[in-house]
Amino acid sequence: MVKKISFFILSVAILVMGIIAFSKLSYWDRSVRIFSFSSAAPFEGRMGRGPGGGEFEGRERSGGRESRPIPGMRERNIPDSLRQQFGTRDGGRMGRGPFEGGIRNGEGRGRGEFPEGKKINLRNVVWFLAVFTSFTVIAIYLDKAYCLIRKRKVK
Amino acid sequence: MNLFKFFLSLIITIAMLLLMDPRSFYGLAFHEWAGLIMGLFFILHKILNWGWIKKVTIGFFRKSTGRARFNYILDILLLAGITLMILSGIAIARTIDFSWLNLGGSRMFWRVMHTSSSFITLALFGVHLGLHWNWVLQRLKIKKVKNGKEN
Repeated sequence: MVKKISFFILSVAILVMGIIAFSKLSYWDRSVRIFSFSSAAPFEGRMGRGPGGGEFEGRERSGGRESRPIPGMRERNIPDSLRQQFGTRDGGRMGRGPFEGGIRNGEGRGRGEFPEGKKINLRNVVWFLAVFTSFTVIAIYLDKAYCLIRKRKVK
Repeated sequence: MNLFKFFLSLIITIAMLLLMDPRSFYGLAFHEWAGLIMGLFFILHKILNWGWIKKVTIGFFRKSTGRARFNYILDILLLAGITLMILSGIAIARTIDFSWLNLGGSRMFWRVMHTSSSFITLALFGVHLGLHWNWVLQRLKIKKVKNGKEN
């Protein structure tokens, strides 16, 4: 009985963590984004400008959400080189060249970049793990409930 | 063989979690290469379970149990998710040159596709693991195999 109760408490804790991670990662929004994606949206026509130059890359912020282009930037007819310059000055939110493994200072890290000297940063992975395990726990208990119902029906 | 399957599944799970955030583990180059290798591992996982796939495919509408059917549909969704994940990953790859593939579509579309498919696939992975939890416990020797029947 003690074992069962402790497992139940552990499951509840996993579920709570999962719910927090789910909202923190904007899991639902990012999962269904593809279904509401419109190719006629403001990003069309930016293809083929070279590696990253002028393209919106949807780079992730430290919070895990995809960033948006700086308002007004697109309307201005600025050359790619200037765009890149703006990008670096403004926290690196604009498109840049391919990943170079560069080190940046400050919080707002781009894709594939790390704070100085750090190659492993598992903070976001822990949130993903929380979501993953909560789905596992839900499936385990639903499966158990289904088996129980089936057994009762057979009896 | 079962132990090999178990470790393969474990590697796929850990890799999947590490790959969810490209910044988390040794950068984009690792993310792209590991993603491709994980795709191969996934195919190997399917090959190792080919007997079950064949059995359920043949008897899907007649012999198979409801549980087997549900698992089968879930596996198809997982396969679709993984395929989309890898395809979109190839389309937006930066450290590996896949431009010769000419996949078309805007980069933004593929990025959104990559994010959405990976998020949905991770959730499906979780459900898949939950439905095979007894099998996992049997491999870890926590639960005994009943009547020689495995989950």
